[in-house]
Amino acid sequence: MPRTALTVHPGDNVVTLLDFNVDDRITQEGLPLIGSIPFGHKAASRDIASGEPVIKYGVPICVASRAIQIGEHVHVHNCR
Amino acid sequence: MSITAAESLGFRGFMRPDGRVGVRNHLALVSTVALANRTAEHAASHFDRVRAAAGDPVLLICGEFQRGLQAGDARLQDEVLERLATHPNVGAAVVLCHDRRAAQAWATRLAAWPTPVEVLAVMDSCGVQHAIDRTVEALIRMDAMRAGFARSDCPFSSLSLALECGGSDASSAVCSNPAIGRFVDRAVAAGATVIVSETAEFIGGEEVVRAQSQSPAIAQAIIDRIAITESRMAGDGDHYRGVNPTAENIEAGLTTLVEKTMGALCKIGEARFAGCLGFGERPSTAGLQFMDTPFFSPCSITGMVAAGAQITLFSMGVFNPSGNTLAPTIKVCGNPDTLSRWSDGIDVGLAELIDGRIGLDEAGMRVRDAVLRVAEGELTHTERWGEGQFIIPRMLPTF
Repeated sequence: MPRTALTVHPGDNVVTLLDFNVDDRITQEGLPLIGSIPFGHKAASRDIASGEPVIKYGVPICVASRAIQIGEHVHVHNCR
Repeated sequence: MSITAAESLGFRGFMRPDGRVGVRNHLALVSTVALANRTAEHAASHFDRVRAAAGDPVLLICGEFQRGLQAGDARLQDEVLERLATHPNVGAAVVLCHDRRAAQAWATRLAAWPTPVEVLAVMDSCGVQHAIDRTVEALIRMDAMRAGFARSDCPFSSLSLALECGGSDASSAVCSNPAIGRFVDRAVAAGATVIVSETAEFIGGEEVVRAQSQSPAIAQAIIDRIAITESRMAGDGDHYRGVNPTAENIEAGLTTLVEKTMGALCKIGEARFAGCLGFGERPSTAGLQFMDTPFFSPCSITGMVAAGAQITLFSMGVFNPSGNTLAPTIKVCGNPDTLSRWSDGIDVGLAELIDGRIGLDEAGMRVRDAVLRVAEGELTHTERWGEGQFIIPRMLPTF
């Protein structure tokens, strides 16, 4: 079952997963996901280079501490 | 934002002689200092045992420090306790001080107060039991006085609402906060007062403050408070703007404070700030007010309630028990997992927002309906559990 993912702002480079189907690997919009991403967590909606800002709500919320692939979980392990 | 019939009809509340309106008619017992707290606890539990059938316990508010506080902190402690004792949800109050001089000062300050209040000094008693008995007798007298208030028609504009969030996660940002935001737009349009606080959780939201203030001066006053808090937070060597949220927030998927801030700001809707208040300060106008408070919710709620908020709207992602015994706390939550596990602690569930079964307008209406039901006497879950603390911040060392 494809996952529910919300893009809060059109300028964002992450989506927020809003369901509990963590074993599924694609969103309803067709974004392929890498690994199990929990409810409320973020996935990259495009490749984000190391040092590039992570954008949510249309504003930079943090900076990628390493290159993040499209579909990858975005959180404290790869941001600062 | 148009005002619908529900807002224009208002609600049945307790009109006080000075025109303020309560949504509860509490008998409050305020102990002004820790030295008197145990006497107050004994008196309250004795009174509640005797009057158990009435099912309406004494509302106990306990101070901590008084002596040993430096000037600004001592003043704030007194002011906040006075505003709680004279809160519109209080029908009558007993104020219990330790010494006679403090009691005289309180009696002088409250002499012209229009609702019934009696001030006692523990040290005027002849023994511990006598101190308890005198306090119980004062409670019996004040209980008879508060019975003189009955509910009557009150305008919606007499409502003052505190906004709070706790256990924030991604669902807070897309469900409970924006639903409260929709309600705030309606409430402000209908002339109510809405107070939002937790200065640290505005860090990173400065552009929103600029865009949503009634004047550049108000925006600047708020932004100055945010800058002061951020510089204080930097003093312990951490960079909170980068990575701050609590372990619980991080587990729930929030990566940084800015992400948390942007989600939290959804709860002010499209309203514009009409004022910037210090801790516990009463606003001089209706509309959306910013209050400079610490981010710990029992403390920030204390400040907003001292300012006159009669009801607290509390947005949750993961569960947070926080509430306030004086201003009923309505818990609003959109996280389906939290809703299934903590149904005995949540007043408004909004899980249908996530899969699109309801929209934000309907969610805002649910919040509005809950506010009106609670304003007319429906108990919230935190009231049923007796959940709530009064915490007054201190800025300076004590001596």
